[in-house]
Amino acid sequence: MGLLSIIRKIKRKEKEMRILMVGLDNSGKTTIVLKMNGEDTSIISPTLGFNIKTISYQKYTLNIWDVGGQKTIRSYWRNYFEQTDGLVWVVDSSDLRRLDDCKNELDNLLKEERLSGASLLIFANKQDIQGALSPGEIAKVLNLEAMDKTRHWEIVGCSAYTGEGLLEGFDWLVQDIASRIYVLD
Amino acid sequence: MEDDRDGPSIPNSTRDPTTHRRHQAMLERLSKPNQSQPPNRDSNSSPSFESTDSFLSRFADLKLSITSRLSLIQQSPESFSKSDLDNASAAISDLDKLLAENSYYLPPYEVRASLKTISGLKESLENLSSQLFPRKKFAFKNKPIKRNPANCVPKSEIENPNLNSSDKFGDLIRRDLPGFSKRDGEVLMKDFKGEDIRDFTVSDLRSCDVKLKGRSSAIFVHRLRNCKVYAGPVLGSVLIEDVEDCIFVLASHQIRVHNAKKCDFYLRVRSRPVIEDCSEVRFAPYCLHYDGIEEELNESMLDEETGNWAKIDDFKWLRAVQSPNWSVIPENDRMRTIYLSNSDS
Repeated sequence: MGLLSIIRKIKRKEKEMRILMVGLDNSGKTTIVLKMNGEDTSIISPTLGFNIKTISYQKYTLNIWDVGGQKTIRSYWRNYFEQTDGLVWVVDSSDLRRLDDCKNELDNLLKEERLSGASLLIFANKQDIQGALSPGEIAKVLNLEAMDKTRHWEIVGCSAYTGEGLLEGFDWLVQDIASRIYVLD
Repeated sequence: MEDDRDGPSIPNSTRDPTTHRRHQAMLERLSKPNQSQPPNRDSNSSPSFESTDSFLSRFADLKLSITSRLSLIQQSPESFSKSDLDNASAAISDLDKLLAENSYYLPPYEVRASLKTISGLKESLENLSSQLFPRKKFAFKNKPIKRNPANCVPKSEIENPNLNSSDKFGDLIRRDLPGFSKRDGEVLMKDFKGEDIRDFTVSDLRSCDVKLKGRSSAIFVHRLRNCKVYAGPVLGSVLIEDVEDCIFVLASHQIRVHNAKKCDFYLRVRSRPVIEDCSEVRFAPYCLHYDGIEEELNESMLDEETGNWAKIDDFKWLRAVQSPNWSVIPENDRMRTIYLSNSDS
């Protein structure tokens, strides 16, 4: 039983989750992460490169990789794909003109083999802005229903500005990852 | 119960009637005990047998009850509803979970075999549901946030699965966006004062002067030629794309500029402005004035000069030396303060 108990101990300790936040520039990725962490969100520069935040959430440790969304650096997203447990795709629900762009980038991302097992949370952000599309409408535009059936996904409306919806989204993501990667309790 | 991990084969119609009936009775019997219990009964107790045999027999039991349930549904689809399929799906997930929870002590072969069984079950469920409910209707995963009904696409429209997505997409884009669009040689004025703070779009203008007084939450600027844009404080971000020979006077929390050519920006920003694919763009401090702008800047946390107007991040020039794409406007070259009078609204 010696080896078995060691293995079980290791499995218990595996409470880390690696979460990748991506989306077009100006969608609010950094604001979401800072808001989740209770930090000041009033001075955020567009992300040049990436930020890593480690957040204790419920009984898990989330390593959140917040990668800049400017066009020039989108090609570097792939450097962060390895071992991603959860993917957070952030949409600026008020930026109707670039929804097309947003859909294309998401489609490209989901073709990526290294992300095929990752749970996908879509944040329809900026719901506080009047005139923003609802999560249902965003789901429609992004054609989420047509996604590969094996993908675990959820769309949640949120506002990084007010904080509304953020916990709901992360709750789902963390639960989904936990049930998927066989964490023993 | 016999340890038959392949389960009963789904009966086909060529069987003789008595066997068929008997078979059906058995299926019913088997599926009963499980149906009467909630599908999630295992989720909290997390049973752990630590014995391969007891796991396998339990696994086989559950599997049998799922396959029998599925074959019952297949035989008489009219007496079942979608929720029966959902229950079956939940039962399969429970099975999945049971395996997951016990996988640490099971021999690899059993894990593989069980995984295969589960994926087989999932497949037959999928086949069944695509047979019975061929077109999955669009369903909201989430409650839509309540909004002004005027901005809402009618629900019936959203739920209508016959509209293809590109049509739908067009509708969404065309819906009434507050903003100025497709004008030539005009002076366009707007005062947000007294209105709800919201976003505003300025697009497809040629040789226009745009004067925006009051606070807004976001401003989108797209395809402007030879225009001047003056705006009061923006609480969120300004996104500017595809502009040429323009002057912008803006105060905002964030500013991103894409594809700008020969433009001057007079900015007050709380963070570093970003430019991408720009050339010959120049920067200077904010220089707008109208009655009440001081309070508005104050309320928007934009009353302080941060000096960020000169700290530009050029995503096309990630080097320490100064980017050739942008410069600071020499002081004697800058515009003087722009006054918007009270009649400008």
